Amino acid sequence: MTPAAARLLIIDDEPIIGKRLKQAFGKLGLEAASFTSPLDALRAMAEQPFDLVITDLKMEGLDGLETLRRVRALNRRAKVIIITGYPDPETAQAASREGAFAFLVKPFRLEELKAEVSRALAELSQA
Amino acid sequence: MAINDWWRGLLADLPFIRRLTDQRHLSVGEVFACFQRLLAANNRAMELLADLGEKLSGDYIFDRRYLEASAASLTQAVADSILALEQLTFSPFPELKQVHARLALQLNDLLAGGERLAGPLVIQLREAGLAQVAVVGGKCAHLAELICRGFAPEVPGGFVITTRAFHELIDANGLRPKLAELEGRLADPGSPLAQITTLGEELARRLGAAAPPEGLLALIEEAIGREMPTGGRLAVRSSALEEDLDFSFAGQFSTVLNVPAGPAAVFAAYLKVAASLFAAPALGYRRLVFPGEGRLSIAAGCQPMIDSRASGLVFTEDAAGASDERMVIVGAWGQGEAVVEGAVATDSFQVGKGEPPVIMARQVPVKPTARYPDPEGGLSERGLEPELSGAACLNDEQIRALARLARRVERVFRRPQDIEWALDAAGRFFILQARPLFVPETAGDRRAVAEAVAGLKPLLTGGRVASLGVGAGPVRRVLAPEDLAAFPEGAVLVARRDSALFSSVLGKVAAIVTEIGTPLSHMATICRELRVPCLVNVPGLLKTVADGEEITVDAESGFIYQGRIRELLALKVSEGMDLNASAEFRLLRRLLRAASQLNLVDPLLGEFRVEDCQSYHDILRFTHETAVQTLVDMGRDEGRLLGGHLARRLALPIPTGILVIDIGGGLTPEAPDDQVPPEAVASTPFAAILRGMLCPGVWHRDPMPVGMRDLMHSLFNPTHHDPVGRQYAGHNIAIIGAHYVNLCFRLGYHFNLIDAHCDQVAQNNHLYFRFLGGVTEVLKRSRRAAMIGAILRALEFNVKIRGDLVTARLSHLPVAEMERVLDLLGRLVGFTRQLDVRMDSDQMAEAYAQAFLNGDYDIVNR
Repeated sequence: MTPAAARLLIIDDEPIIGKRLKQAFGKLGLEAASFTSPLDALRAMAEQPFDLVITDLKMEGLDGLETLRRVRALNRRAKVIIITGYPDPETAQAASREGAFAFLVKPFRLEELKAEVSRALAELSQA
Repeated sequence: MAINDWWRGLLADLPFIRRLTDQRHLSVGEVFACFQRLLAANNRAMELLADLGEKLSGDYIFDRRYLEASAASLTQAVADSILALEQLTFSPFPELKQVHARLALQLNDLLAGGERLAGPLVIQLREAGLAQVAVVGGKCAHLAELICRGFAPEVPGGFVITTRAFHELIDANGLRPKLAELEGRLADPGSPLAQITTLGEELARRLGAAAPPEGLLALIEEAIGREMPTGGRLAVRSSALEEDLDFSFAGQFSTVLNVPAGPAAVFAAYLKVAASLFAAPALGYRRLVFPGEGRLSIAAGCQPMIDSRASGLVFTEDAAGASDERMVIVGAWGQGEAVVEGAVATDSFQVGKGEPPVIMARQVPVKPTARYPDPEGGLSERGLEPELSGAACLNDEQIRALARLARRVERVFRRPQDIEWALDAAGRFFILQARPLFVPETAGDRRAVAEAVAGLKPLLTGGRVASLGVGAGPVRRVLAPEDLAAFPEGAVLVARRDSALFSSVLGKVAAIVTEIGTPLSHMATICRELRVPCLVNVPGLLKTVADGEEITVDAESGFIYQGRIRELLALKVSEGMDLNASAEFRLLRRLLRAASQLNLVDPLLGEFRVEDCQSYHDILRFTHETAVQTLVDMGRDEGRLLGGHLARRLALPIPTGILVIDIGGGLTPEAPDDQVPPEAVASTPFAAILRGMLCPGVWHRDPMPVGMRDLMHSLFNPTHHDPVGRQYAGHNIAIIGAHYVNLCFRLGYHFNLIDAHCDQVAQNNHLYFRFLGGVTEVLKRSRRAAMIGAILRALEFNVKIRGDLVTARLSHLPVAEMERVLDLLGRLVGFTRQLDVRMDSDQMAEAYAQAFLNGDYDIVNR
């Protein structure tokens, strides 16, 4: 798989974050879609496979950990990056157990997220 | 001790100093520990402010929790700073605590998503600045800001009916439950629009017939009497919280024109404006731009009507995205309402943004009608005479004047502006409104930019970004505070160091670049708040760029290019605008506005008073300056110094008679108890001073030949009334710590003090210098003071001279620069020791200053 073909799903209840990330990763050549509702995002994922998911942890409807479980259930290969403003060690450990690829604490620089995405893409292309 | 008493008397003249007379004293060590705590608290707070400011760049992903945690830490750090100051000075600062409590409450209110419901029902427009935005709304806050920034002639005065009045109106008419229901629906993204508009319609209808809350009519009447003593007509315009600051809300709310100047008529107009908050289009627009946010309130600005000969709009950039190098002026005869509505044919002019403004294109269609105030109230349309209808509503000179005015407004707000203007019969321009102009995101692809600049070699690299952005313009070097006086609009400010004094020209600069500086400085903080691109620590800056040379400052990558790089400037326009759409981002801007606006700029300007502290930034500045003054006081008080501390004699090859008091880390552990050699001095700042004093040729051993006149003066004027003529008794004392020195020299007939803190954190560092007295008559002493002043200014100190008293200070320099300056001060102390004797003419003073700066210390022996 080449990075240009990789599909990225962004879930954050703050619309601006989805919009900004979509814009940023679009410019890097990824095909990105963003959702403010995790349930809508999962429905989209069921229809079309995503390689990479960036999700907030605290959201209405479905929390990030549950989102992570369902994403992994849909696609074992998908890399999931969790972004949160409410870090605590238990959640981070739980996310890691559930197979999260990376855990970023807000505020973070866009560059840090880009680095994680590149790393994930590298692993996907090797797999 | 008489001299100390006299010193205190002198210091009491300086308004920012709290006197230390008649109080219990802390030990020197305790004072110093308090000072360290204060520095630590201030540094923590400044880092938080810088950290928050950095998030404005849009390079970060952050959320509400981050804002809450940062605001709480900031409030705590500022409280710690005040506490440390109280312990240090042994005096209470209740007013400072009050300001702190008010700000803490304000930040909490902002975080809670509400506005302050406290505050006046009616406020004068000129007092309704950005700090009051929560109660006066965006439009009025912007107009008030313009009045404060020198636009008083162009912005008509008036008053504001605040959001507090709006909430009282709601409560007084039993509309609170309905409003709460509407807000709840708005906050729920899933709620159908139809329900929202139905609720809105009901609220608008009931507001239209609402009764005034208690006291409002009397306040309106009072305000009319004050602002319009000769009567006249008023314009009542909406001013919503969000309006102007983040989104234009252009045309969403009502304006009522030509309102008779009476309380009942103004209140009726106000009700129309208030009801427009709930109009269906406004609610729909709100849902679009602020999804999931519910809070609603509105203020109204009431200003005298301008009897407009012509009026219209200026877009300071071509909003169609064609060019950021030209502005667009549209206008028509009479009142501008029709222009704003796009209802009539209008003249249109495209004008270059350079100086002088060049009119690049013009369209002057026939304008058969215009609107004018109707004697009955409101406006009515009238046909125009043929010679008027075919003519341009502005002549070329007026177009250029308007372009310049618009450019000034744009520089104040640092964004493209959409300005509503009016021209009265006397030919005066007025600004009725100024709001951000949103330029669509067309150009500005980063890859395109990278390609565009790929072939270009930067003029300078290696700068540290203090405030993100791109700016271009001719270089203007600012090497002394006086250079700021005639700072040209649109220039790039180039300086050796950063300075909070630059805030006076932030409305004019395209960018700021300094050779030395830190992104944590006060100036950098203000630059971020006002979105001024700023690079600091650019090596070789002053050697490379010359005055008038056009450069582009890329305060994104840290590069400086020759000429105007249009692709980079396009990037500036396209980025950052949509960040305002994020609730967190807007909240951040509001928090920073309350916390980091700096009103206390220069401690030597005599305006450092508690009552002038309006932000956390001001409080930090105040505590720091007051603490430094306390240390300075302490250094003069020998009784305290010799009381319990061991003063050791310093063994120097020059006869200074300095005693050192080590309060921790100032001397090496091996230092002997007496006759301490200079090598045993571990204090960074004191060691630097000693290096300067011991520099070969600096210290002149032979006494200066004192003329008979000077001698007579010193013999016959030793009165208490002229203490300067007396010989200073006592020792020369250096209180030193690892990073601190307070050095008091009583050398012969003059008194010299250096107080400095110098560590790795530039933000902590300060340097305070004082020089006074001499053996000779006051004229010669004053010449020496002028010479010292000239030298210190050349070293970029902030200098104040009063007679033969020289006061100078510097702060926030990196450690290497501090050491360089302290070394030079050491040389200066030696060099000027007895020079007053030589000050026979003003030319002599200049010659000596020049010689010192050239390193020609030998001039003294010639």
